[in-house]
Amino acid sequence: MSTSSTTGPAPPAPAGPQSTESRAPRPGAREMLVRFLTLREGSIIVVTLLTILYFSLTTEHFFTHANFINVLPYFAPFAILAAGEVLLMVAGEIDLSIGSVYLFTPFMFYQFDQAGLPLVANLILALMCAAVVGVINGIFVEIIGVSSFITTLGMLLGLGGLTLIISDAQPVAMPGAEVTTRTVDVTHIINGEKIVLPEKVNEVGTFAKIFGAGAYSELIWALVIVIGVQVLLTMTRWGTYTIAVGGNRLGAREAGINVRLTVIRNFILCSVFAGLVGVLEATRAGSVTPDTAGASESMFRAVSAAVIGGTLLIGGVGTAIGALFGALFLGVLRDGLTLEGVNADYLDFILGIAILGAMVINIYVGRVRKGSGRA
Amino acid sequence: MPERLASEDVLRVEHISKRFGPVTALRDVNLHLRKGEVLGLLGDNGAGKSTLIKIISGFQKPDEGRVVLRGDEVELKSVDHARSLGIDCVYQDLALVNELSVVSNMFLRREQVHKPFPFLARRAMARDTRKALDQIGVNIPRIDVPVARLSGGQRQAIAVARTVTSDADIILLDEPLAAMGAKEGALILDLVARLRAEGRVSIIMIAHNYVHILEACDRVNLIQDGEITFDKATAETSVEELNEIVVEEYRRARLAAVQPES
Repeated sequence: MSTSSTTGPAPPAPAGPQSTESRAPRPGAREMLVRFLTLREGSIIVVTLLTILYFSLTTEHFFTHANFINVLPYFAPFAILAAGEVLLMVAGEIDLSIGSVYLFTPFMFYQFDQAGLPLVANLILALMCAAVVGVINGIFVEIIGVSSFITTLGMLLGLGGLTLIISDAQPVAMPGAEVTTRTVDVTHIINGEKIVLPEKVNEVGTFAKIFGAGAYSELIWALVIVIGVQVLLTMTRWGTYTIAVGGNRLGAREAGINVRLTVIRNFILCSVFAGLVGVLEATRAGSVTPDTAGASESMFRAVSAAVIGGTLLIGGVGTAIGALFGALFLGVLRDGLTLEGVNADYLDFILGIAILGAMVINIYVGRVRKGSGRA
Repeated sequence: MPERLASEDVLRVEHISKRFGPVTALRDVNLHLRKGEVLGLLGDNGAGKSTLIKIISGFQKPDEGRVVLRGDEVELKSVDHARSLGIDCVYQDLALVNELSVVSNMFLRREQVHKPFPFLARRAMARDTRKALDQIGVNIPRIDVPVARLSGGQRQAIAVARTVTSDADIILLDEPLAAMGAKEGALILDLVARLRAEGRVSIIMIAHNYVHILEACDRVNLIQDGEITFDKATAETSVEELNEIVVEEYRRARLAAVQPES
C-alpha cells in the first residue's frame, strides 16, 4: 500500500491557499479507512468481503473447506485470464481472443503429445503456439493498424474455428491427466490386532498435480501470476511503459518509449496466460471439449473480472489484485447463489445486476477519490 | 558565415525538407547552433517550428537533408538515439503521462533500476526528483501523486526539469512558457538565463513572445512557410523589427487569401 511510505509525523500544513496542495497524511484510523476505500482495489475488496460475509451468515455450507475447494474452479482460472487482460487494458487495448486461445492451447498440447513428445515439451510448445497468437494479434494492431477489438474478435472466431477443425469437433482425453488406480496395503489396528487390507487409491501424475489437477494447483498459479503481474505493472519498466502507452500514447513515443514493442509483448503475455489456463483447466477436468461458446463466456467473465476490479477500458489505469478480487466476487456470487438454492435460470440475471452494481460503486468511489485526492 | 564561427557549431541542420502528404512542412531549412548559445525560434502557427524540433530530437526523420552534430554527420534513428548523443527535448504537449507519478514522469524512459534486478529504484529516483525540482526552484509538495493532479505550470515545470537535469547538452524547448502564469514563466526564463551563463548546454527555444526571445536568447531565427527567413543576433534586432516582419507576413497572407495564385 502506498500509504506506508508517508506515515510518521505529519508535517504541519502550510497556511493560506496553498494548504490544499500539500494535504498532509494523518495516520488516524478513519483516514486509513478512507485511503483504503479510495485505493483502486478498495471498493471491490470490500464488496467481495461483504458478499462472503453475507453468504457465510445465511448459508450453512458456505464457509466450509469443502465449499472453498468448490469455489476455486469458478475463480482461479478467471483470475489468471483477467490478470493478462489487465495488462492489455492498461496499455489501452483489449484481447477478446483469449477465449479461443484458452481452448486452442490444450488441443495443441494434445497434438504434440500425439507426436510422441514428453509432457513438459508439449506444454512449452503449446504455450509457444499461444504466444504466436499474441504476436499475430500484436502485428495486426500495431503494424497494420487494425483496432484491437476488431483484431481479437476476428482471432476469437478464427481460432475457435481452427480448434474445431483440428479436433474434428471431438473431445480428447488430456495427456498426462490419466487417473491411475493403485492397490496399497493399509494396516488397520482393530482390537489390538493388526489387520492388513488392500485398498484402492486413485492417483494422477506429478505433472497433472502441478498443472491443474492438484486441489490447490490453480489457486497457486493464480496467486503467483496475479502478484507477478502486479509487480510487473507497478515495479518495473515494462509496467511503467505499459501505463505510459495507455495513458498518453504520443507522449510515450516522444519520451522515446517503443510503443509497438510495449503493446505487442503485452499481447504475448496475455495470450500465454490464456494458454496456460487452457492447459490447467483441461488437465483438471481430464479432458477437453471444443466448446467455443463456453470459451467465449470464459473470456467475457475475465473481462468482467478485470473491469469490476477497477481496470479502465480507456487505458492507463488497472490493477491485477483488483482483477483477482473481481474474479473472486463473481465466483463467490455464483457459488453462494447456488447454495442458497436460487433457480439456475436466475443466476446470470443476478450476476448481470451485480456487475452493474459493482461498477456503479467503483465510479462513485472514483469520484470520492478525485474529490479528496488533490495532491 | 565565417569559418571560425562554423567550427564552433555544436549542431548544424542542412537542407532539411519534410513533407506530410501534400503539405510541405519544411523546405531546405538550414540552421546552426553554437556551443553555449541560446537560439530563439520564432514563427507563425504551422510554420514548421515543431516539425524542425521533432527532427532534431529524433522523433521524425527528414525527407532530405542532413544533421551534423559536433562536426560529424549523424542519422538520428530514434528519440533514444538522439538522447544518447546528448539531444533532449521538452515537447509542446509535455509528453507527461497523467496516470504516472511525478517521479515516474521525471524518469520516463530513464528509469533507475536495482541492478541486476529489473525492479525500479524508487527511493533513489524520488531523491533525485526532489533534487532536480529544488534545483530549478519549483514547489511541488508531493511527488508520489499522479501528475494529473498538478496545475498546468507545475506540469510544465516537471517536463522542463526532467530535460534540463538530464545529461543532455543540446536542449530543445518547444514553447516552454505556453501553459505558464507570469510567475512560473519567470522561473523558466531565469533557468534558461542560468544555463546560458553557465555555457555548458546549447539551447533552441521556441516562443511566441518577442520580449522573452530578446531577453533569453543570443540569436533569433524566424521560420516562415517552412523556410528560415531571418537570422540575427538579438543584440542587433528589436521588438519593432520582429514585429514589422510578422505584420508584413500577415499582410501578404491576407493578400494571398484575396487573390489566390492562378
